[in-house]
Amino acid sequence: MYGKQFIQIVLVLILFFIFVDKLTANENVNDTTQVVTSDISEDSEFMHELPPVYMVAPFIVLLLMIATGPLFYHHFWERNYPKVAMVLGSITVIYYLAVLNDSHSLLHSLAEYFSFIALLGSLFVASGGILLRVNRKATPFVNVLFLLFGSIIANVIGTTGASMLLIRPFIKMNQNRIRPYHIIFFIFMVSNIGGALTPIGDPPLFLGFLRGVPFFWVLANVWYIWIPTLLVLLAVFYLFDSFNKGNASSDTEEFTGKIEFKGAKNLIFLTIIILSVFIDPAVLSWVPSLSPLPFGIREIIMLAVIYFSYKKADQEILKANEFDFEPIKEVAYLFIGIFMTMIPALQLIAHEANVLSDKLTAGVFYWATGSLSGFLDNAPTYLNFLSAAMGKYLLDVNLKSDVVEFVMHDDIYLRAISVAAVFFGSMTYIGNGPNFMVKSICERAGIKMPSFFTYMIKYSIPILIPIFLVVWLIFFR
Amino acid sequence: MKTISQVLKENITGLCYYNRIILPFSAHFLKIIVESDIITDFSPSSKGIFIREKEDFTDIYFHEYKGLKSSISKYEAIKMVVVEKGKNIFNFDNHLKIALYLEDKHLVRIEKSDHDILFLE
Repeated sequence: MYGKQFIQIVLVLILFFIFVDKLTANENVNDTTQVVTSDISEDSEFMHELPPVYMVAPFIVLLLMIATGPLFYHHFWERNYPKVAMVLGSITVIYYLAVLNDSHSLLHSLAEYFSFIALLGSLFVASGGILLRVNRKATPFVNVLFLLFGSIIANVIGTTGASMLLIRPFIKMNQNRIRPYHIIFFIFMVSNIGGALTPIGDPPLFLGFLRGVPFFWVLANVWYIWIPTLLVLLAVFYLFDSFNKGNASSDTEEFTGKIEFKGAKNLIFLTIIILSVFIDPAVLSWVPSLSPLPFGIREIIMLAVIYFSYKKADQEILKANEFDFEPIKEVAYLFIGIFMTMIPALQLIAHEANVLSDKLTAGVFYWATGSLSGFLDNAPTYLNFLSAAMGKYLLDVNLKSDVVEFVMHDDIYLRAISVAAVFFGSMTYIGNGPNFMVKSICERAGIKMPSFFTYMIKYSIPILIPIFLVVWLIFFR
Repeated sequence: MKTISQVLKENITGLCYYNRIILPFSAHFLKIIVESDIITDFSPSSKGIFIREKEDFTDIYFHEYKGLKSSISKYEAIKMVVVEKGKNIFNFDNHLKIALYLEDKHLVRIEKSDHDILFLE
């Protein structure tokens, strides 16, 4: 029921924004009284007034409701989260259209949302048709190897793809001894930190790649931070897991040691998704732009993959995976609210960062990008701080040549921003798309997951913050 | 009333009407999972669920769902951990994992949980 409504709402939004955008574009370009560029967009000629600080309120309310809803008003939240996300998103949309006369920022945010949900959705559906069975007894060492494998593969199929592909086998393998910390460490490593080595790994790095950061720059410049961080996390996990003796019944169970893989045809779909990531006019000049539509050829390919991989999937595998669109639907609804309501927050941050860019050190970039990436979408956060860092050298993030010059000039800022945007995504359930989906899959399997706050207080703050602090001390202070 | 083993052996189906499931057996319920809801409170004051045992069947009402069929996909199951009446509830070997699949014409297919399905007690 909500699926059709959702598509209708999004279509109306697209048509409306395009219409208003066309109507107001000329006015805005000629209007010299307006003060500041809004966000970091392809068209820097679009100038708009900054929103007032109180316009961040819908975003804060939405974040608070995501945090408290499942905890204090669980059933109201389950029934009404789509309406809540839409209503709060509408407040921002109406303000931008009616008061700021700025449809461009909305259209730009909608385009980023489309890229986000098309990638997440296609990886979710394609990996839902793959069944991986690992018939091994779960020991701390085997789990460490599994998480290490997941972290590496996240750089090839993205953190979302790796999470969707590996979370079920990981739970299955540990079914007699599973505890919430298993899932939390999975989120830390496979769903986030693991994917810090390539632009495919995590969306902010991909945005950087589209802007001109060389594909292998991240691998060459982040590996020596990635390896020790991951090793420390694996060691902490090993400690946790060593104390877990599990159920006695697992001792009597026999294991063949076999790894079984079903649904190989969906690997083709996964490959198509990964290749389509590069089908962007910013990467390949022959790719046509569909502007002013807020999506491109890439998103159309990904939507086609969703359709075909679902239609062609093996019914038995879908049943074994208990395939359901609910987890992706939840992400789609919540994140359209998040993408809309966070526009004022991002614009204010971008403005402040640019004003203060001269005073900002690599450490400030690291903590600011990180702490905001834990709660905001890490992709635009990355871009806004990249813009601020480039502002130190009077370079423009919208020009590819400037980005290349910036990378060659002084890469400590880019390294700080890249590492923080990816690593800190693991701080909360909403820090990165797959976090929420992994949580949802685990709950459907019967695992009582910690609440939003418990996740932070019991796991991410005591485990991750000390590690991130050491990373800062060694590499960015 | 039939036992769970009989129902599973004879492939007897249950029924589903909106938020009500009718099961052709009686049992001690330990855990029920519907979508991401993990229900373990079966007390009379439970807001989410109401279980009523009749002479020939067991009624389960899921108060938080208007229609179970429209909420749960065809690949998804309502999962439950149950113990046959009369058997020792404290013996884990007696804990049965059951999956309920909602089918057309109000039918509910009752299966012993498939090995592949993720279902943790």
